[in-house]
Amino acid sequence: MKNIIKYIPLFLLLTTVSCKKDKKDPEPEPEPTPAATTNTIKILFEHTVDTNELVLNQNYVNPNLDTFKVSTLKYYISNIVITKNDNTTFVEPESYHLIDVSNLSSTTISIPNLPFASYKSLSFTLGVDSTRNCSGAQTGDLAQNKGMFWNWSTGYIMFKLEGTSPQSGASNKSLTYHIGGFGGVNKVQRNFIFNFASTPANVSASVSPVIHMSVDVNEFFKNPTTINVATQHTQMSTGATAKMFADNYADMISFEHVHN
Amino acid sequence: MNRIANIFFLLGVLIFASCKVDPKIIEPLPADNLVEVIPDGWPQPKYTFSVNTISEDKFVLGRALFYEEMLSVDNTISCGSCHQDFAAFSHSEHKVSHGIYDRQGTRNAPGIFNLTWHPLFMHDGGINHIEVQPLGPITNTLEMGADINPVIAKLQASSKYQNLFKKAYGSDTVNSQKLLRAMTVFMGLMYSYNSKFDYYKRNENNVELSDAELRGYSLFTAKCSGCHTEPLFSDFAFRSNGLTVDPFYQDSGRAHITGLPTDRYKFKTPSLRNIAKTAPYMHDGRYTTLNECLDHYTNAIPNLTNLDPSIPTNGFQFSAQNKQDIIAFLNTLTDYKFLGDKRFANPNF
Ligand code: HEC
Ligand code: HEC
Repeated sequence: MKNIIKYIPLFLLLTTVSCKKDKKDPEPEPEPTPAATTNTIKILFEHTVDTNELVLNQNYVNPNLDTFKVSTLKYYISNIVITKNDNTTFVEPESYHLIDVSNLSSTTISIPNLPFASYKSLSFTLGVDSTRNCSGAQTGDLAQNKGMFWNWSTGYIMFKLEGTSPQSGASNKSLTYHIGGFGGVNKVQRNFIFNFASTPANVSASVSPVIHMSVDVNEFFKNPTTINVATQHTQMSTGATAKMFADNYADMISFEHVHN
Repeated sequence: MNRIANIFFLLGVLIFASCKVDPKIIEPLPADNLVEVIPDGWPQPKYTFSVNTISEDKFVLGRALFYEEMLSVDNTISCGSCHQDFAAFSHSEHKVSHGIYDRQGTRNAPGIFNLTWHPLFMHDGGINHIEVQPLGPITNTLEMGADINPVIAKLQASSKYQNLFKKAYGSDTVNSQKLLRAMTVFMGLMYSYNSKFDYYKRNENNVELSDAELRGYSLFTAKCSGCHTEPLFSDFAFRSNGLTVDPFYQDSGRAHITGLPTDRYKFKTPSLRNIAKTAPYMHDGRYTTLNECLDHYTNAIPNLTNLDPSIPTNGFQFSAQNKQDIIAFLNTLTDYKFLGDKRFANPNF
C-alpha cells in the first residue's frame, strides 16, 4: 500500500495536467494577423431551359416538342481546377459538390484560399471519379444518404433529372433519368474546360470574383441524340443508354462571364 | 494520507466505470480480441481497417445496429433476423429470405464471415465495398424496406444510440458514414479460421483427419479447389457451376450488374467454410442437403450458357463412397469456435 501511496501525487499531477489548462501558463499572445494573400472564388450555376430561367414544376418544351416539368435536378461537380494566367494551377482539395436546384445555396460553389492572381480558366468534371465510387462510406456531399447512390449495384448517380410530361410513355407520365456508371466504355463522367477569354478572374484583397455558368436543361434532351419521352422516359441503370444521355449532357454547362 | 488513498480508489473506480460498457447493453468484451486477423498463409485482405480504426466502442455500436429492428421500415426485422449466429450468419431453413410484410425475396442469405477478403458482395457482386453493403438490405423494398434517412432519424431520437454513437465517435450525431463504419467493424471482425481442418493444417491440438476425410480432401483438391480455393474456399470469381435457370426467378446473376451476355447465370463462388451449417444451398436455396449438392456435381450437367469449362458436362461421376468422403471432408470446415463466439451473438438476449 505504501508503494501505491507514493505514486498518488504523481498520478494526481498527471490527471490534472491532462484534464485542466495549467493556470500558471500565460495566455498566449495573439499572433499578429498576417496580411491576407488569398481570397475566395465563387462558381455560380444558373439553370435554364433554352434561354428561360428554370423554375421547378413549371412547363417547358423540349427539342422534340414534348411538354415537360422538372421536379428534381441534381448532379455532382468535382475535381475543380482553376488555372492562372502563368499556367500554374489551383486544385481544390476534396472537390466534390452536389448541385441541387431545389436548394439554392448548393448552386453556388465557394472555393476559399485562392492566392492573389489573375486566373484565366476553369475545369471540372460532371460526376464522381471512379475511385470515390469504390471507397465505401463517405461524408459531406458524397455521403450515401443524398439520394444519389445506388445500393444494389453500388455507385453514384452522377446526374438525376426527374419530372413529368404528358407525352411520357410511363404509366404515371413520369420522367426519371438517373445517370451513372463510373468505369469502362459506358462511364458517364464528363469533363468541362472553360476559358474566361478577355475577362480573367482577378483574385485580390478586395475582389472575390464570381464565375457565372449556365446549365441548359434542353441540352440534356438533344445533341447528339434528340430524346423522345414517349419511349425514352426512364433510365435507372448503367450501360450504353446511360452513356447516350451523358453524351447529351456533355455540352449542358457553358461559361457566361466573370464578375470581378 | 488515508483519505487520499480513498480518493485514489474512488478515482480508479470512476475511470474503470467509464471505460466499461453498459452491462445492460452488452457484457464486457475481451477488448484485446477485437483486432484485425490475418491467419498464417492467408492472402492480404481487401479491406483493412486503416480509415476505419477498430475500437471496442465501435464494435459495440455495430453489434447493436446489426441486431436493431429500427433498421427496417416497420421496426420488425434486423440484419440478425436473416443472418443467424448459429448458422454462421446465414438464414437457417430459408430457401430465399423473406423480409418485411412477409415479402418473398429471390435469393438465399449466404453465411457471413471473412468478409474483408471479399472483393465484391452479394451473389451477383453488385456491391463493391464492405462499408456500403448494409445500405442494400436497409433500402431494399424486399428486405428491410427503409430509406437510410428515416433510419438515421430514428437512431438519432433514441437515447440508447445517442449514447452508443457518442462513445464510439465522441459525438452523438448520427450520420450514414458512422453507422456504416461501425457495422463494418462488427461484421469485418467475424473471422472464421478455427475449424478442425484448420487445426489439422496448422498441426495444432494433435488434430488428425480420418481416412474418409482425407480421401474427401484429395478428391476436393482435384475437382473442386479450382473454384473453392483454399484458404478461403472461394476464389470469389463469378462462374456458372451448371445449375439450370429457375424459370420463376429468371436470375441472370452477374449479368444483372454488368449487362454482359458472357456474365449470364454466373454467381459468386461461395466459400465452403461452415458449409454444414449454412443450408439451404446455392443462390436460390434450391438444395437442402450437401448430398443434393454432391448429386448436382456428380450427374450430367446440361451444356448451359456460360457453363464453366472446369465442370464436365457428364458430371464428375462420383461414386456413393466418393460423395460420402467429400461430405466428410466438408464437415471438417465447421468452425465451432466461431459459431459459439458470444461476441457476435444478439446482445439483447
Ligand atoms: C430479409 C433477409 C435479410 C436481411 C434483413 C438482411 N440480409 Fe443480408 N443478405 C440476405 C440475402 C438474401 C443476401 C444475398 C443477396 C443477394 O445476393 O442478392 C444477403 C447478403 C448479405 C451479405 C453479402 C455476403 C456475401 O457473401 O456477399 C452481407 C455482408 C449481408 N447480407 C449483411 C447484412 C446486413 C449488415 C444486414 C442488415 C443491415 C442484412 N444483411 C440484412 C438476406 C438478408
Ligand atoms: C467452376 C467452379 C466450381 C467448381 C469446380 C465447383 N464449384 Fe461448387 N460452386 C460454384 C459456384 C459458382 C457456386 C454457387 C452457385 C450458385 O449459387 O448459383 C457453388 C456452390 C457450391 C455449393 C453450395 C454453397 C452454398 O453456400 O450454397 C457447394 C456445397 C459446392 N459448390 C460444393 C462443391 C464441390 C464439393 C465441388 C467439387 C466436387 C465444387 N463445388 C466444384 C463453383 C464451383
